[in-house]
Amino acid sequence: MSSLRNAIPRPAHKERSQPEARKRFGILEKHKDYIIRANAYHKKQETLKILRQKAAFKNPDEFNFKMINSKTVDGRHRPKDEVNKYSAEELMIMKTQDIGYVFQKWQSEKNKIDKLTASLQCTGDQSSRRHVYYAEDREEARELEVQGRSKSDISTVEIPKDIKKKMDRSYRDLEGRKSRAKDLEKLYTDMSMQKELQKKGRKRKLRDDELLNPNGKAVYKWRADRKR
Amino acid sequence: MRPPVTGGRGGGGFRGGRDGGGRGFGGGRSFGGGRSGDRGRSGPRGRGRGAPRGRGGPPRGGMKGGSKVIVEPHRHAGVFIAKGKEDALVTKNLVPGEAVYNEKRISVQNEDGTKVEYRVWNPFRSKLAAAILGGVDNIWIKPGAKVLYLGAASGTTVSHVSDLVGPEGCVYAVEFSHRSGRDLVNMAKKRTNVIPIIEDARHPAKYRMLVGMVDVIFSDVAQPDQARILALNASFFLKTGGHFVISIKANCIDSTVAAEAVFQSEVKKLQQEQFKPAEQVTLEPFERDHACVVGGYRMPKKQKTPAS
Repeated sequence: MSSLRNAIPRPAHKERSQPEARKRFGILEKHKDYIIRANAYHKKQETLKILRQKAAFKNPDEFNFKMINSKTVDGRHRPKDEVNKYSAEELMIMKTQDIGYVFQKWQSEKNKIDKLTASLQCTGDQSSRRHVYYAEDREEARELEVQGRSKSDISTVEIPKDIKKKMDRSYRDLEGRKSRAKDLEKLYTDMSMQKELQKKGRKRKLRDDELLNPNGKAVYKWRADRKR
Repeated sequence: MRPPVTGGRGGGGFRGGRDGGGRGFGGGRSFGGGRSGDRGRSGPRGRGRGAPRGRGGPPRGGMKGGSKVIVEPHRHAGVFIAKGKEDALVTKNLVPGEAVYNEKRISVQNEDGTKVEYRVWNPFRSKLAAAILGGVDNIWIKPGAKVLYLGAASGTTVSHVSDLVGPEGCVYAVEFSHRSGRDLVNMAKKRTNVIPIIEDARHPAKYRMLVGMVDVIFSDVAQPDQARILALNASFFLKTGGHFVISIKANCIDSTVAAEAVFQSEVKKLQQEQFKPAEQVTLEPFERDHACVVGGYRMPKKQKTPAS
């Protein structure tokens, strides 16, 4: 009656993991894990054997110009450095393209910030404004003072937890975009300054007493050039 | 999430008797698109964005899992706050499916299955929204009010004011420039409670046949003599006991004096013209050196209670 025995559902065989008392020995290796490890080992050994054979059968009189025009640094092949690979104009164009890319990214972040700011208005609390009340006499002033103290804000409305989480995520996203835009702006100004310094034109660095608000950055002044 | 009880929810305080201003709650947008969401195109044939209902299916067993945005009424009638991925002031769209200045629109499904569309009110482009977010106590612009809006420009804030006052109210929008007035007239073609007036606000006699008696005057003209302009228009159109809301830009009045001194001098000018200012808020961080003054016009004198 083995066919009837096959009809009975058997409990699925589950592989045993490393017991808790033997966790310090690492994972419990099964035979299929050993197969993977052995295959990897033998593959590496075969590759090394082929490479050793190629090295043993090398022609001692072989020559090509790469043997002179390149060198090995820490076991890696590297071409020799070309001193005048690019001209000055080409370098300037490449720097301009880099600056343009950074500027484009900065503008993109600013546009996203504008979109997000239109929908994230901090309706809960604001602390950077002044609210002045006008009263005709002292009794009205006292009434206004009492009213102002007992004012209930709209942020007392309870918000469901998932919507609060969504709101907080939007605000965090806005803060992240603002900091990224600030970093991109700083990078853009630095690259622009470097590019201007490499151009023609007589300039000098201002001395410390000439700076209006010294912040550790060099300030340059260019000599006025007549255009035509 | 607690299922909402009928007739209001939470600590917001349900305000009955508000016709047309339905509170929105329920399944919002369910598309997993971009973070900011797409915005509808403005223009004569704007694409309406009716949000498909959530994953709850037709029976809608409970409110769990379907809602993405909740919309609560603000303490100012007609203004709402949407909380979800955005945290914004919104007004109920008078013309569903149309955006005025490419703003974001939010569709919220009610408990009974109908949809309400709201438009996000950007406080960086609207002084009135900045004043509302600045915590002003009363803007006096409410559903059913008649508003005279001086300095309407392209109609950005006028469209939200027309949402606010609703079909029963009326907005008379005065704008001097023809370039901005063109946008204002195009906006007024769809919003029938906006009456555009392309005239100089310094000469209200020119458009006195167009404007009836109004409840509120909102002034955003940014002129050195804006107090006089407001007084002229108030004497022509504002009812006794009506209210005014004026946005003061300190650099336009006098750019050499500190902003606080400019605000105080403007308030004194208003007090000389039968206005009674009630409160003043600065509009930071949305506008710098701006303030919004709210008050009444020809208010009846307070009755002196005998000292007891």
